Amino acid sequence: MTFQDLVFTLQHFWASQGCLIQQPLDVEVGAGTSHPETLLRVLGSTPWNVAYIQPSRRPDDGRFGQNPNRLFKHHQLQVILKPSPDEVQQIYLDSLEAVGINPRHHDIRFEEDNWESPTLGAWGIGWQVMLDGTEITQFTYFQQVGGMDLSPISCEITYGMERLAMFLQKVDNVFDMAWGGGKTYGEVRLREEVEQSKYAFNQGTGIDAERYSSFHRQQFDENYKFGEELLKANLILPALEHCLKCSHLFNLLDSSGSVGVTERMAYILRVRQLALTICQAYAGEGTGIDGQGSGRRS
Amino acid sequence: MDRDLLLEIGMEEIPASWLPALTIQIGNVFEATLKEARLSTDEPIETFSTPRRLTVRSAKIAERQTDLEELVTGPPVAAAFAADGTLTPAGAGFVKKQGATDEQIEQVTTPRGAYIAVRKHQRGKAAVDVLPDVLTAVLRGMSFPKQMRWDAILNDGKGDLPFGRPIRWLLYLYGGRVVPYSIGRSPLATSSRVQEVIAGSSTYGHRFLTTTGRPGRAVKVKHFDDYRRRLAEHFVILDRSERHDRIARELDAEARRRGGRIARSLVGQGMLDEVPDLVEYPVVASGTFSDEFLKLPEEVLTTTMIHHQHFFPVNSDQGKLLPVFLAVLNMEPDHPEVVSRNMERVLAARLRDAQFFYQSDRQQCLAEHAARLDSVLFHKKIGTYLQKSERVSARAGHIASKVLKTPQAEPFAREAGQLCKADLATDMVRELTELQGTMGGIYARADGRPEQVWKAIYFHYLPVGVEPTAPPVREQLGQAAVSWAAVALADKLDTLTSMFAAGERPTGSRDPYGLRRAAQGVVRIMVDLPELTGLDLRLTLGHLVEAQPDEAFWSFMIDRVRYLLEQRGYDPRNVRAVTHGDPAGVSPLVAKRKLEALPEFTESEDFKQLAGLFKRVRNIARNLDANAPELGGTLVDGAEVALAREVARLAPVIDAAVSSGAGYRQAFAEAAKAGPAVAKFFDDVMVMTDDVKLRDARLRLLRRLEGLILQLADVSEIVPEEK
Repeated sequence: MTFQDLVFTLQHFWASQGCLIQQPLDVEVGAGTSHPETLLRVLGSTPWNVAYIQPSRRPDDGRFGQNPNRLFKHHQLQVILKPSPDEVQQIYLDSLEAVGINPRHHDIRFEEDNWESPTLGAWGIGWQVMLDGTEITQFTYFQQVGGMDLSPISCEITYGMERLAMFLQKVDNVFDMAWGGGKTYGEVRLREEVEQSKYAFNQGTGIDAERYSSFHRQQFDENYKFGEELLKANLILPALEHCLKCSHLFNLLDSSGSVGVTERMAYILRVRQLALTICQAYAGEGTGIDGQGSGRRS
Repeated sequence: MDRDLLLEIGMEEIPASWLPALTIQIGNVFEATLKEARLSTDEPIETFSTPRRLTVRSAKIAERQTDLEELVTGPPVAAAFAADGTLTPAGAGFVKKQGATDEQIEQVTTPRGAYIAVRKHQRGKAAVDVLPDVLTAVLRGMSFPKQMRWDAILNDGKGDLPFGRPIRWLLYLYGGRVVPYSIGRSPLATSSRVQEVIAGSSTYGHRFLTTTGRPGRAVKVKHFDDYRRRLAEHFVILDRSERHDRIARELDAEARRRGGRIARSLVGQGMLDEVPDLVEYPVVASGTFSDEFLKLPEEVLTTTMIHHQHFFPVNSDQGKLLPVFLAVLNMEPDHPEVVSRNMERVLAARLRDAQFFYQSDRQQCLAEHAARLDSVLFHKKIGTYLQKSERVSARAGHIASKVLKTPQAEPFAREAGQLCKADLATDMVRELTELQGTMGGIYARADGRPEQVWKAIYFHYLPVGVEPTAPPVREQLGQAAVSWAAVALADKLDTLTSMFAAGERPTGSRDPYGLRRAAQGVVRIMVDLPELTGLDLRLTLGHLVEAQPDEAFWSFMIDRVRYLLEQRGYDPRNVRAVTHGDPAGVSPLVAKRKLEALPEFTESEDFKQLAGLFKRVRNIARNLDANAPELGGTLVDGAEVALAREVARLAPVIDAAVSSGAGYRQAFAEAAKAGPAVAKFFDDVMVMTDDVKLRDARLRLLRRLEGLILQLADVSEIVPEEK
């Protein structure tokens, strides 16, 4: 099964389970959790079932295309089921069968692995799903987001798509994996990995460290300030996007070694502060993401 | 007639590390709840668990609650009756509320006066009517290391039912019949896909294995034996010990088949103890990895296998690591070789990563890695690991030369202290955090640093365990024993004192910086110093901590000393007796030696006499103003002269024991003999006489006795508690 067939099959599967299929957030994020379809939808009581692919950028994981398992950017398939159905584990296992993983032929385990994102004031209880010793999915019952207790509880299922595709194709190097259309993952993405890694670590770029650092700091400050202004104007979604940009800019400053220890902590706390305020503002509105009932957006 | 009770709480996968304690807990909670509910049982309660179930079984539960005989107390007699002997409104109200008649009124006398009361007899209800409340109490009574909300509610008025993991089914049988029960779901979640959990007579077998049709179907059971048998048919081994034995047996057989044996010393008991709680139907599989990885340090290979993959390493008969691993599956796969290939691929990928980290770390020497610690934060109020390394280095040097009195170890201790945190800046430790310390030691050795240095780094996070056999042992430490002890003490003490100064104190179960463990490590080294290093030094906490931390620090430390000694099996009262007074002056090693001698005496009559009177000695001696000049009075009474003689006899024996650190046995024996003399003194002598000079002399005698005995122990702690 090619990478793209895996995407199609899982999207199809979750659509048949009543999920609407959303598209990735077009802002740089480190995980599908940051997408408003997760971060904001799990707040409040409106039921919501959604699945989407999220390209996830983790500057610190960049390996210049040289590591067979680790990437600057990987793809997650993120599923949110709100409320979490009683049969959720079985439904998940059915999704594995749908992509050709017969549980009779493998050792599938749910191993304790809780999730926490201090920056989003979020945590959950759950497992990593191990398939013959490979972690292929993170399974989380969200308990808090934005520092607020959730009710009802949402279940988040996050598939590591590269891992799963490599497993299915029995390849040891991610760049050898078949993407589809006769192309390998390397043909599609290797150059991007090399260049993005150089950028993330500011290695071999010839760009002065001071210049690199000041550009990103400035971007951070501008986005942060503007995010706060947007929030004041009650534009929660645009404010969230600017907050996420800050988070990514901080990750770049961190991976390139541009922030010292104390400063690092301060950056994290600033992002957290903004993210929490955004989540709380959204929850406080008591309306859905479509804004119906608020009368502020049409 | 007594009947069999069976409860199974079916859950989503429970963390393996919780299971052993939960299995005990549910039995205790259940037993306590039955008692509270007045349901008697003659048979012990049995409990079982697998990753997906907690099971309680009691072979004989009474069919009815025992009857309740109760005396309900009302208002005071004075308030219940008017002057003419008729009931007041308060009295009448009470009688009416209890559904009693005036004839039933009794009077009870309490320390607070006389009250009216009514005797009530309540006939026990049928067990089947009480058992639902029992389950509610059990569900509410369970506690978990971390609990979650899962949209569950109980209709006991308390609402939300948080639990360890979501409950997916309940099997609740009494005498073969289902006890009606259900767990409700919050209105916000309830839908066709979120439903009440209703107790029934069905269990569920293995997730994937089945002999008949589709797995995961409900399996009806009649009673406990049927339950256990049906589970076995559906690939669930209910008995943990049966799973454990099967795993141990199959691992050994598979290792043999692969030409070696399980590397038990590497695996430790930990993983063998954990695996039975990860599986319902264990099957052992094995695989291999490429010989080229055997060039990696053994610690890297085994950590990758054990901590990251839960694989068991295999040694040859000569104790050399083989390129083989074993794994315990929760599955009997149709094609085991497919699973093996997949596991081999994961392991190879991990080992390739490790190989890459090892090679890239080795591009720089450990000192260069250490320099980068200025960007690794230890604690935001305390500073970076570079700063910590410098403090540890200075402190370790001081401890080696001044405290451990081994000046030749000082340079090694300083060097190791400076480098001990360097591996935190390496790729390997960033990936495999379990290897902190170990990796630093390996890199220091590769840099050509001497054993006194690299081993001090390698073992400096140890000891962790409190038992005398917990690693490291003397043979492992070799020439590094003293430099290791200096660095291990310095690192832990630095963490403790700086964290306390920053206000980071452990509270209740919260100890995010592992301060209790660090303190126990310190105490452990002090207690076992002769065995670990060959140095017979009676270190006190005051020797090691020169600056004056606050009260909280000392009481925390003395608690850890007591904890360790109690863990070693010494009587808590004796432990308190030998760790009395100023915590800075307590030597854990001396305390241990006294404890080894003490139990021989604590039961003797003379000793009990001394112990019983010692509190009185202390209380009276307190009347002496320590700064007042001696008045030169002369003891006159026979009993006091005799006691003075006893004290004079005791003094050299106790002083000798205390100054040599040996002979506590003899000292306790001699001290015990003073018991009768002390008793006679208190019988015959009135200390607080009006004769000021005589009183002064008597107080000084008691003060001297007190001082002597306290050098051994505060024996008043050993008096049996009064019943």
